[in-house]
Amino acid sequence: MDYVQAVGLLEKYGVKVISGSIARDKREAKKAAAKMGFPVVLKVVSKEISHKSDKGCVRVGITSEKTLEHAFDEIIHNAGSAKVDGVLVQKMARKGVELIVGGKRDAQFGPLVIFGLGGVFVEVLRDVSIRICPITEQDADEMIREIKTYPLLTGVRGTLPSDVTAIRKLLMQVSKLMVKEEKVKELDLNPVIVHEKGYDVVDVRIVE
Amino acid sequence: MEMNLESIFNPKSVAIIGASREPNKVGHAIVKNFIDSGFAGKIYPINPNAREIIGLKCYPSVSAVKGKIDCAIFAVPAKFVPSALRECGENGVKGAVIISGGFSEVGNVEGEKQIEEIARKYGIAVIGPNCLGVLNPSSRVDSVFLPVYKMGRPHVGGVSFMSQSGAVGGCILDLAARAGLGVSKFVSYGNASVIDETMLLEYLGNDEKTKIIVCYVEGVKRGREFLEAAKKVTVKKPVIMIKAGISVGGAAAAKSHTAALAGSSEAYKALFKQAKIIEAETLMELFYFSKIFDQPLPKGKRIGIMTNGGGYGVLAADAAEQTGLKLAELSSDTKKKLVEKLPNYVTVRNPLDLVGDADSKRYELALDALLEDENVDVIIVITLFQTVGLDSNVVNAIIKASDERKKPIIIVATGGEYTDVHCRILDSYGVPTYHSPNAAMKALKHAAGYAEYLERKEKRK
Repeated sequence: MDYVQAVGLLEKYGVKVISGSIARDKREAKKAAAKMGFPVVLKVVSKEISHKSDKGCVRVGITSEKTLEHAFDEIIHNAGSAKVDGVLVQKMARKGVELIVGGKRDAQFGPLVIFGLGGVFVEVLRDVSIRICPITEQDADEMIREIKTYPLLTGVRGTLPSDVTAIRKLLMQVSKLMVKEEKVKELDLNPVIVHEKGYDVVDVRIVE
Repeated sequence: MEMNLESIFNPKSVAIIGASREPNKVGHAIVKNFIDSGFAGKIYPINPNAREIIGLKCYPSVSAVKGKIDCAIFAVPAKFVPSALRECGENGVKGAVIISGGFSEVGNVEGEKQIEEIARKYGIAVIGPNCLGVLNPSSRVDSVFLPVYKMGRPHVGGVSFMSQSGAVGGCILDLAARAGLGVSKFVSYGNASVIDETMLLEYLGNDEKTKIIVCYVEGVKRGREFLEAAKKVTVKKPVIMIKAGISVGGAAAAKSHTAALAGSSEAYKALFKQAKIIEAETLMELFYFSKIFDQPLPKGKRIGIMTNGGGYGVLAADAAEQTGLKLAELSSDTKKKLVEKLPNYVTVRNPLDLVGDADSKRYELALDALLEDENVDVIIVITLFQTVGLDSNVVNAIIKASDERKKPIIIVATGGEYTDVHCRILDSYGVPTYHSPNAAMKALKHAAGYAEYLERKEKRK
């Protein structure tokens, strides 16, 4: 499923992905950035690249048209021979804790929902909790508290506590999507950046 | 079909298809076990080539039996099973235990499908194929073909076992018999082609004689249904499970982070959490965890420790901290009482070191005081039997203290044969004993967690 379809499907279940638009060329990218306002993020959109940041296909914190032009060329170059569908221009997410929320289908138990500390090291840290869908609010709450890094969400070293209520709701929405949308085999929302009020879903991947 | 499970666990009459005169045959051992166990119902050996087996009249077929047959036990080669099962169906037999192997486990999927179809058509509850079958110490049903001199039979009690594997099931029964653990029902269900683990869990969940359910599982057939069934059962009684077989396949092919992180083992962990199933990692833990439920559930996590060895008190306190339990702050009343009654060289605090010359009287005093103390939810009694002062009388003191089931009392005793003898007596009175503080605390943690879960459920009502 491509990025636009994935965003559309998530919206159907009340999950809003951070606003962005797909540009086919530099001119469109600049127009989009001007409309949403700097700073922005650029990402290569390609079904053939699954770990975009590993390949240098993501640039964050772009503050001017000039840096945008450079970044555009650079990430297209880094995509190499992969088929590129466009470049995603996204509003820069607010600062917060990076989480992963996802879903998959298990041969014996059907849809599962997953929650954990996200970002690029997610598969190294494996600090995640998993439940069989559909989940209850109590399940969602336990999932959040279960990870080792839960204290990061309660506010440490002067940071404000994260919006756990919003994450709880997000987990329930993903569970509902996994139960209803049988075509979805795997789903990654990574990272989801949570702050004291709400969260930003920064990247989406849905495997059919 | 599920409702016919009763005819398997509590039959009034059984037919043994493939009964044999040869002492080394499975069909012989089953007839003998039914006779030796004192089964009060009718036993019909079925074998067209024999007139009598161990003094019982033998019948050429199920149809030749005039009386009603509740349960048929199959010990014939796989190829004879479908026709004999159909004959059972036509004669109104509602339960079948198919010990015979040679079905899907060796690729004979067709044969197993036939069993399913026949079972469905006639509404027969079928256990197996490829299993050890059923044991019920109270109705004296014993289809387990392992000879009594090789595998002990447990006495009547409240623990029910369901095991996918026959070999593991046999070990569990043998260990249970030796440990003096009372068993309500045992079932080795093999290929689970008709009656699967979800149906068995529901049956044992509704069975009033079953107080605790212990499962050995390699995989469940209907995961979602199993979860729903387990959720309903665990609010009534604890379920302890060991899941064998960690599957790594699949994760490698994952395209997303989620799929790479959530393999099949993780899905089982989710099952355990959502249904509040207590997970055991070893066979021994199945026993450690099940016997803790002989005691009342703890009302909290504050433990009081008494010992006749200071070092062991420290080890127990460490183990308690590591498992999230708390050392109780003894009440001033308790302290006063203990200072008055104990020798002046005993320092009154928790852990309470009764000192190396402690005798059963000293334990009795301490037990009385901690039972009265409202700050103490659980009492851990460490008895190191190697000392001169401690003798068998302490067992009486402990059993007496535990008699009212006021709060959980758990024993830690490490040692050799002398220690083991006393542990067995305590265990048989429902006072669980552990060889190490860690094993005791781990079991206690599960009991406390289960108690909290029930309380939460109760509150939400």
